[in-house]
Amino acid sequence: MSDRLTLEELAALMKKGAGLTVDPVDLASRPLARFDEFGLDSLGLLGIVGELENRHGRPLPPDADRCKTPQEFLDLVNNTLMTGA
Amino acid sequence: MNSGQARQTVITGIGVIAPNGVGTEAFWKSTQAGISVLDRVTREGCEHLPLRVAGEVRDFDPGALIEERYLVQTDRFTHFAMAAADLALDDARLGRADYEGSPFAVGVVTAAGSGGGEFGQRELQRLWGQGSRFVGPYQSIAWFYAASTGQVSIRGGFKGPCGVVASDEAGGLDAFAHAARAIRRGTDAVVVGAAEAPLAPYSVVCQLGYEDLSGCEDPTRAYRPFTSDACGFVPAEGGAMLVVEEEAAARRRGARPRALVAGHAATFTGPSKWERSREGLAHAIRGALAEAQCAPEEVDVVFADALGVPEADRAEALAIVDALGEHGRRVPVTAPKTGTGRAYCGGPVLDTAAAVLAMEHGLVPPTPNVFEVCHDLDVVTGKARPAQLRTALVLSRGLMGSNAALVLRGATDTPS
Repeated sequence: MSDRLTLEELAALMKKGAGLTVDPVDLASRPLARFDEFGLDSLGLLGIVGELENRHGRPLPPDADRCKTPQEFLDLVNNTLMTGA
Repeated sequence: MNSGQARQTVITGIGVIAPNGVGTEAFWKSTQAGISVLDRVTREGCEHLPLRVAGEVRDFDPGALIEERYLVQTDRFTHFAMAAADLALDDARLGRADYEGSPFAVGVVTAAGSGGGEFGQRELQRLWGQGSRFVGPYQSIAWFYAASTGQVSIRGGFKGPCGVVASDEAGGLDAFAHAARAIRRGTDAVVVGAAEAPLAPYSVVCQLGYEDLSGCEDPTRAYRPFTSDACGFVPAEGGAMLVVEEEAAARRRGARPRALVAGHAATFTGPSKWERSREGLAHAIRGALAEAQCAPEEVDVVFADALGVPEADRAEALAIVDALGEHGRRVPVTAPKTGTGRAYCGGPVLDTAAAVLAMEHGLVPPTPNVFEVCHDLDVVTGKARPAQLRTALVLSRGLMGSNAALVLRGATDTPS
């Protein structure tokens, strides 16, 4: 895993956790589109937060599962989990 | 369900996912031929458990029928319900174009005896194996016995009245009463039924405590209700979903009513008290007939509960005669579930589907594996019996003490 969460990794997490097939290129081209437009509901995002926390062995901020867009989520993750190591 | 001027509930679509057939056509073909598919339990993780015989749904490929998100987010029992609902909607020719302008006109009602046991077991193993942080969030809804109603409504875009009947195995019949009530109150259509997936390790272990479960290892002898060999029941997975509609609304959109949901009643007589189910079941039959304004002599076929426990079989045989009088000894009685096993709440819904098909085909399907009946009933054995069937009575009892009866009337304008 790279030191930053990428759109490719986010797409893979959406696939594994919620069974959604999302093209990372689509995620990149619509940075302001909301998660629900990609079919991800709040439980799906909660699962992704849990998966990342387990992988890194440390918690994300409490509002991580309230992010509305992939870009917002990526920024939050990369500004906390990845930089704080 | 009152006849007269009230809004009548008719069945316009049937979708079956059963051990003896995926799809209504395959199901009826096996059912009318009296084919038994009871067999050794082969589901993963169940092979070593003391339940030896069951009715498994082996021809079901969820990946071919259900979107991946639902494969990941829901349990097998919901996969069955979704696939059956699709078949029923196709059969009724009720598509999105029919209701997208009025999504609140279509509701969903299911009955459930357990819920998502396989999904729940996997997540609980993560809980105890790795810790609470490794339990996936979809566990919160996938195990739940209400999951199928919720997911079928979300997936189909149905925003009308939704409900889940948790009233034991007989809830499969109570669901039709619940749907008919919604229709009486103004809903145009309800997707209604039940499907269960109790053949997973945790779920099987839960059933091992049922004293009425058959311990017989021979698939041809394990489930023989109404005979002196009766030694309990065999469980099954699967079930059916049906589309029921308000009769005038169905006709307006050109749908063909296949049967009328004419009457229903339910009673409760307590768990493990089969002798008392005689009175409860008889009372339910009388109530269902009264609501259908149906005389006992009008019943042309009875789909029996047929538990396969001597005391319960006796109680049912007596209840049929208590409620139908002398006609109860003459009316053809059948229990096609002896060829598939009892899919808990899905069982009586499969019987309801079979009853509609029996009326349409003028054929009482036989009771597989049952030969020498030791009760004063005319149980149809061996092969299907041709008969003109206008009215069918479907009976169901649950292990926890519920009893229910449903009266169906054949469509009067069904093309032959």
